[in-house]
Amino acid sequence: MPAGVTSIESVEKKAAAPGAGESRVSLRRGAYLPDRILALLATCSALTIILLLVALVSVLVYAALPSFHTFGPSFLVHSQWRPNELERIQRDADGKVIKDADGEPVTQTLPPAFGALPVIYGTAVTSALSLFIAVPFSIGAALFLIRIAPRRFVNAVSFLIEFLAAVPSIAYGLWGLFVLAPFLQAYVEPRLNAVFHRISGLHWLASSSTTGRDIFCASLVLAIMVIPIITAVSRDVLRTVPSTQIEGTTALGATWWQTSWEMLRYCRSGLFGAIMLGLARAAGETMAVAMVIGNVNEIHASPFAAAQTMSSLLANEFAEASSDLHRAALLEVALALLAMSLVFNVVARWLVVGGGGARAAGGH
Amino acid sequence: MSHANGLIAARSVTSRVTSRVMWLLCIAAAGLIISVLALVLYYLVSIGWHSVTWAFFEQDPQPYGSSGYPGGMRNGLVGTGILVGLASIVGVPVGLLAGVYLSEYRTRPWITSTVRFTADVLAGVPSIVIGILGYELLVVPIGHYNGWAGALALAFIMIPIVTRTTEEMLRLVPRSYREASIALGATKARTIVQVVLPAATGGLVTGVMLALARVAGETAPLLFTALGSRLLTFNPNYAFPSLTKQIWDYATGPYAEQKQEAWAGILVLIALIFVLNLGIRFFARSVQTRT
Repeated sequence: MPAGVTSIESVEKKAAAPGAGESRVSLRRGAYLPDRILALLATCSALTIILLLVALVSVLVYAALPSFHTFGPSFLVHSQWRPNELERIQRDADGKVIKDADGEPVTQTLPPAFGALPVIYGTAVTSALSLFIAVPFSIGAALFLIRIAPRRFVNAVSFLIEFLAAVPSIAYGLWGLFVLAPFLQAYVEPRLNAVFHRISGLHWLASSSTTGRDIFCASLVLAIMVIPIITAVSRDVLRTVPSTQIEGTTALGATWWQTSWEMLRYCRSGLFGAIMLGLARAAGETMAVAMVIGNVNEIHASPFAAAQTMSSLLANEFAEASSDLHRAALLEVALALLAMSLVFNVVARWLVVGGGGARAAGGH
Repeated sequence: MSHANGLIAARSVTSRVTSRVMWLLCIAAAGLIISVLALVLYYLVSIGWHSVTWAFFEQDPQPYGSSGYPGGMRNGLVGTGILVGLASIVGVPVGLLAGVYLSEYRTRPWITSTVRFTADVLAGVPSIVIGILGYELLVVPIGHYNGWAGALALAFIMIPIVTRTTEEMLRLVPRSYREASIALGATKARTIVQVVLPAATGGLVTGVMLALARVAGETAPLLFTALGSRLLTFNPNYAFPSLTKQIWDYATGPYAEQKQEAWAGILVLIALIFVLNLGIRFFARSVQTRT
């Protein structure tokens, strides 16, 4: 402990110097100026953090007000997203174009409309699907790291996992866009589509056109991105299981899996917190999703259809918002995104701290 | 344990087979994860590798059709450096001081726990939402996109990370250090500045590096704050370049040569983050062995 020792020594020297003793005697709490300055600075910095959250919420609410006034609560369940006026040719019941006296088609002008349902749907489906893929693998890998892998190997894998959690999302997006999406388009999706077509109850899962950039691709990329996080936090949570618990189960004659199951049961709330952290990351992920989801504000049942999430919508449209109302609507989407992430994070921290993995959660 | 009898009775052939199968499945899960992650890394490195040339570091982007096309990403490298530097000027001191508050000034427990909780929650807010805060605070009043807004958004992202790591690291400093210092007559401020902080230097560096690695790779908060620029500029009053935004523009653009440049840009960024991660591991280990 070299640094600590030198510091103590330097303090000792200063304390031993003439005059130091007197200042100590006359010192009352808070009377010494540097003390008050440091206390003030530290307090202000700490309050800055609270102020930051307050500012975040209030600025977004204020900026989204025009959207609240115009659309009301139906914003969240409305499925049209039309930033600009749309001229649409009217058709009659048979699908024929209606023409006026001069033979020109009759058009109808649709006003701009904004509804968040497609992006909420996109966020929900991609997050759920990615967790569905990521969770079993992550928990399996965490058990592997805790109970199977040799120590040397654990360190190497832990470094890889932590590094991959730090790789920027745009890197995963680039990989998804240029490697995964073409691969899915060429080899995977046509086959899955054919399978879905053949099974009578699953027609709705098939999509007529596959580009590779769709919900399925986005979910896979998200799964790859959240696996390092869920694995790392689950590993730290599993590490908190007391060894007596493990030894006790083993002594009772439990098999390897029965003991592991007891461990998972023991820290289930912490594991659930780890999954919530993964969910928060998946639901808020922006750049990677914006690159691979296809960016279409529509709801389709098929996972091979292009879609849009809340965050990818913001990334694509906010800088080029066509009107103030468009921008306000985007801000309301951002507010919904913020509210969602706050809920996920609060629940996750609460569970992980309860499960004893507080340090793990604080690290990321 | 309530189901002790159940466990003993259950050690049948089926439960042994189940156990073996699950054991293998755990290994398979880890193996699959490692190979997929290694595959991603392999692609990121191998595709971009031959485009990381001197020109990449020396030249700015050249327009399509010009002789130097596609040029390099010097503007983005410099821009990211300046943005991260500006963000650190705000983010590091505020984060460090807030961490000092959480660890050393615990006179009002409810404030401490509120601040800690808020910092944790803020660290999980999607970065694009933080970008919108930067937009509303500095782009709307100024009237056009500018580098300051981008730097501010990055600073907001840094603060909770630095705060929480600082707190964790200061808590590792033994209580006896503080008691010794106070007993020797040092004031609280002197104890913190000359005893506690130096003892935790490695840990503090870790926290700052974690935050730097995080914000250097951020794209979303820069999309509508710094916006990006194809020119080398040192003036944050206007639209400001960054490596990540340049990569995003190239990757989503139409030209093959620019997509290749995007791969090179990602490789350089990942190499930078890898070095920072190695540093983090090194400094974090130095803290653990000391205490």
